Amino acid sequence: MSHTDPMILALRALGEPAGTPHDDDHAQTCVHCRHELARLTELVDLARSGGPVESLERPPPAIWDRIAAEIGIDPAAAANAAVNGNGAAAPDSAHERRSRRGIRARGRLATVLAGVAAGLIIGIGGTAGIVQLTKAPATRVVAQIELSPLPAFPQWQGTTGTAVMRATGSQQLMVVTLHAPQRSGFYEVWLLARNGVSMISLGDLNADQTGTFTLPPGVDLRDYSRIDISLQPFNGSTLHSKTSVVRGSLPAAALGAASSA
Amino acid sequence: MDRAEDEDVSGAFSKGHPDALALVYERFGSLVYSIAVRALGAKSDAEDVTQQVFVSAWRSRDTFDPGRGTLGGWLVTITRNKIADAMRQRQRESRVLLQVAGGAAVQAPEAPADQVVDRIMLADELAQLPESQRLVMVLAFYSDLTHGQIAQVLGLPLGTVKSHIRRSLQRLRSRLEADGVAH
Repeated sequence: MSHTDPMILALRALGEPAGTPHDDDHAQTCVHCRHELARLTELVDLARSGGPVESLERPPPAIWDRIAAEIGIDPAAAANAAVNGNGAAAPDSAHERRSRRGIRARGRLATVLAGVAAGLIIGIGGTAGIVQLTKAPATRVVAQIELSPLPAFPQWQGTTGTAVMRATGSQQLMVVTLHAPQRSGFYEVWLLARNGVSMISLGDLNADQTGTFTLPPGVDLRDYSRIDISLQPFNGSTLHSKTSVVRGSLPAAALGAASSA
Repeated sequence: MDRAEDEDVSGAFSKGHPDALALVYERFGSLVYSIAVRALGAKSDAEDVTQQVFVSAWRSRDTFDPGRGTLGGWLVTITRNKIADAMRQRQRESRVLLQVAGGAAVQAPEAPADQVVDRIMLADELAQLPESQRLVMVLAFYSDLTHGQIAQVLGLPLGTVKSHIRRSLQRLRSRLEADGVAH
């Protein structure tokens, strides 16, 4: 008897129904497949326990200087070696590979932003928008927008977010993910107008810091061109708390594409 | 950074090349610091622990055996030890303070839960994935979307999403096992 397709095991570990009753029978009796499913399931459980995994924090720059001082190496020389790759031969190539990858990644993003036609989306987690998505004949990612903390809010340094914009037919969707510390209150997603005053609330992020939102029909994204996520206290107010966690701007290419959708 | 690259760093480190420590710090500094912040709360304590970990790792680099585990896993072990030291130190200090103040017994400090450390290591490995694979996995883990819906949301071919999911799950699992997260 052949083993269960690794793809089926991977999907099952994520909790998706996959495979056939034959796979059920096999997975129950085959030690290899049962073990494989167990180790993938353990990984998924670890990832999902307590919401999105923590984002990593970079130590302050002074720490490296302290380390270098304590062991008696020149922090600047060593840092240059790390950055320029003129140190040990092997790490060298590691760094070159990494910077090449960075360039390729930027190239890909530019292609995504420039080459698309129709709509908007960002989001994960909700179901209302997704029903539309799955019924639509074709949806396209218009833009993937990185959301970053504002300089005025240093306490959010290290927090990141992503907004994916998509259009399907006449509907525009936005899938938002945030990687922020757990704080009391909740995270809310807004569109900000150019005048810096007008704003539209899209809704609140789920406990796992994700959300899928349908953009209001007819909204002019050339005006409401920025995405903002705020931390809102549980005080009953429907106004923006003025605590902006991360923010990002819709690229011009996406605006044109969205408005013509 | 790919695992092969981690191995490059690891090899240069165990040979004692001074520049290699900078690379090791660049690759693993955030991992060590993040674990320390989560365990100790206070940033200044986490900074001290981070410094101690890399100084200690450098001085005892001869004891690192790449054949027995990954450099990341070895550093995490040192991090756990330094955190435990810092907690004992805190306990001593608070006991002295309480004695001075005429107070009662002090609660034993808690070591960081394995799961907390494991999750930070997973975050680290997730961050090493290429961008499109990372996005697929974030959606697969944390959204209610099926793989078919993920393909539509991201505008990727279904086959690409499926293979990203299969390969990334395998890769994350293998790396965490190599780092010593396997239970």
